[in-house]
Amino acid sequence: MTAIPDTVRPSRRVSIRGLNFALLIFVVLYAMIAVLQPNYLEAGLFMNFLRRAAPLVILACGQLYVILSGGFDLSMGAVVTLVVLAASMLIGGDPAMTWPVIVALYAMGLAVGLANGAIVAFLKVPSIIATLGTMLLVNGLALAWSGGAPRGDLPDNFRNLGRLVLRDVPLVGTLPVAVIILVGATLLAGWGLHRTAYGKRLLAVGDNPRAAELAGVPVKPTRISAFVVSALAAVTAGILIGGFSGVSVNAGRGLELQAIAACVIGGAQLLGGRGSVAGALFGSLSLFALFTLLNLLGLPQALRDSLQGVILIAAVGASVLRHRRST
Amino acid sequence: MTAVLEMRGIGKAFNAVAALDAVDFDCRAGEVHVICGENGAGKSTLMKVLGGSYRPDAGEVLLDGKSVRFLHPREARAAGISIVHQELSLLPFRTVAENIFTGMEPTRWGLLDRPRMQDRARALLQRLGSAIRPDALVADLSIAEQQLVEIAKAMLVDAKVLVMDEPTAALDDRDARSLLDLVLRMKAEGVAIIYISHRMPEVMAIADRVTVLKDGRRVWTRDRADVTVNAIVTAMVGRELQDFYPARSPTAPGSPVLEVRGGGNAQLRDIDFVARAGEIVGVAGLEDSRKSVLAQALFGDAPFTAGQVRIDGQPARLRSPREAAAVGIGYLPGDRKREGIAPRQSVRDNALLTLQAMAPVLSSPQGGARSRPEVDQSLNDMDVRAGDFGQEIATLSGGNQQKAIIARWLMQEPRVFVFVEPTRGIDVAAKAAIYETMRALANSGRAIVMVSSDLPEIIGVSDRILVMHQGRIAGELPAGAEEGAVMRLALGVAAATVAGEMAS
Repeated sequence: MTAIPDTVRPSRRVSIRGLNFALLIFVVLYAMIAVLQPNYLEAGLFMNFLRRAAPLVILACGQLYVILSGGFDLSMGAVVTLVVLAASMLIGGDPAMTWPVIVALYAMGLAVGLANGAIVAFLKVPSIIATLGTMLLVNGLALAWSGGAPRGDLPDNFRNLGRLVLRDVPLVGTLPVAVIILVGATLLAGWGLHRTAYGKRLLAVGDNPRAAELAGVPVKPTRISAFVVSALAAVTAGILIGGFSGVSVNAGRGLELQAIAACVIGGAQLLGGRGSVAGALFGSLSLFALFTLLNLLGLPQALRDSLQGVILIAAVGASVLRHRRST
Repeated sequence: MTAVLEMRGIGKAFNAVAALDAVDFDCRAGEVHVICGENGAGKSTLMKVLGGSYRPDAGEVLLDGKSVRFLHPREARAAGISIVHQELSLLPFRTVAENIFTGMEPTRWGLLDRPRMQDRARALLQRLGSAIRPDALVADLSIAEQQLVEIAKAMLVDAKVLVMDEPTAALDDRDARSLLDLVLRMKAEGVAIIYISHRMPEVMAIADRVTVLKDGRRVWTRDRADVTVNAIVTAMVGRELQDFYPARSPTAPGSPVLEVRGGGNAQLRDIDFVARAGEIVGVAGLEDSRKSVLAQALFGDAPFTAGQVRIDGQPARLRSPREAAAVGIGYLPGDRKREGIAPRQSVRDNALLTLQAMAPVLSSPQGGARSRPEVDQSLNDMDVRAGDFGQEIATLSGGNQQKAIIARWLMQEPRVFVFVEPTRGIDVAAKAAIYETMRALANSGRAIVMVSSDLPEIIGVSDRILVMHQGRIAGELPAGAEEGAVMRLALGVAAATVAGEMAS
């Protein structure tokens, strides 16, 4: 018992069921895509698939932090919209402004995250209501600021973050910058959650906040930090989306729900305490593969939303049934 | 005079543990029958059987000489049995009248007849001698007024039997006295009143008869004239001590580790005590003594707002559990499920939680420098039985969960350990192990404060016993004190300053 090597972490064991489930779904869905469009099996198209899925994966990683702490963050999509609109207006087509503006965007994200966290932790407003409020607030401010019709353009060095594809990379051939960001963000999220004392605190707070408090965990700062992580993830996703989709007032619409659905497909337990970054990763890839499949099948865009609703309910229902059996 | 209510040979067991064993009880019209008993003696269970919340395993209940079987509290209420619970069951944001009529609202053409509801509520409150407005919000009332509304609610159905479960526990002396007046008034109206209380002056002032319960059995029922406080106390206590309590340390306790001077907050007053290295200080008291509030104050969960706390001679600030943990206080909560474990996390993570909480945010989850084998060693030292320390802690037995939480604090190496109800709801073998751990912790030079409602445990384990009564420390007793002595202090009999006032 005492001689177990240090590599098997307990969190692995807890999350492995959800991970397997999401990985399986992803493989099945991707196989179906490959049947319809065999060239999706080429490295280049797979990289392109990952590039387009990158924002959702990053959003899901951020959302996962909030879900594990026992809450929801509905303001993520609004932050994405804010980031895209603010970037276009602040940069105004001047490439020299790109990096200072990116810093400013992260500052805005930090402010939204702190506001969400403070409202939830100190005013004790349920997070689903608090972030619904900030979602409307941020969306409204972004639209008012841009006057409803975004002006300005995003310079190439900004758009490259989401758009540029490095060529002639050994092993993989092509490598989009967005995929590098995706890998980096996922590793960072996984490290924060599974390899730090902070991650354990977060899980304990989501699992039983009262017990966590009596064990000495600073519950309020931990809760607030989860919303900050989520908002910063939303800024990152927004920068990528601005890169490959350009400026639009609908840039972030509905993304928060996709991120929640991805976490749940990946085995995260709503209201906290159980879940993993690997699960969120494959949950979001599954969801994105499904959207791709529906596109290939020629289903109308509108049905995509309906189907997403069905999946969300099915995934939560399945997780409830799974855990009811085990406890 | 014949009995309105008669309960014959009532028995009730939970998981093969007898909570009530062949209890006989009766109550006559126009009398106040007081029930006394230690925590867990079976008072509440008996009243729940009467009120239809529990169905008895044996025995029968007769109302006006006829046998009745209640399947639901509503049936008991309709039959004329009303219970005023210790914790109030009013809806705070409804009016007084709405609360009184909850579930039996008067209607007219199928619609709520509000004027009639107001009038009847006003009449009822006047009959109880109160000027509370029926349209006031319950949330705006004082605790005493809420209690009165609760009684009015009980009287609505022309209660034949009124049960009051420690009604004065939350009241100050003045309100308690007016409540007692009310009880006497209802008694004069011919209601049979069953009154549960720990407050001896009250008991002696209003009882017509007294019944003492102990360990689920009736000890005796006597007329007021034949009862003395001492007789009640003697009947309430006197159990055999079991032999699984560990031997006390032969060495005298060392220097003071924890000192509280003049500690107080909204619920505590004048808390003065010292816990020395190597000793276990037991804190005893009845349910309304606020002994658990003292534990919460020591751990910064319900912080002291007055007075001073020193740890190893250094002034300590205890404004949150985190601060308390940081200055070397460990805390074992009384309600393991709600306050102790994070159920979906592994045994190992539960044991590491405090180290993780106190470690730098981005350090390794093993809690700073400690490696995983050390965690497992600590769990093994506590003899936590689990197939694998990676499994979710919710799958372990209560005793093993408790040991894992002790392991959590052991790794933090606190100077003072506060144990709250350390063995509640766990089996005998695990109990003995926890007592031994407490003794071992004390012997290693720590100070232990053990808050417990289990009197034999207090007497068997403690080196000194502090007895609390109504938010104060009523007195201190040496190791191995008599149960009766503890109970007398807990009942406030020794410090009987209130007694004279009550009697008059």
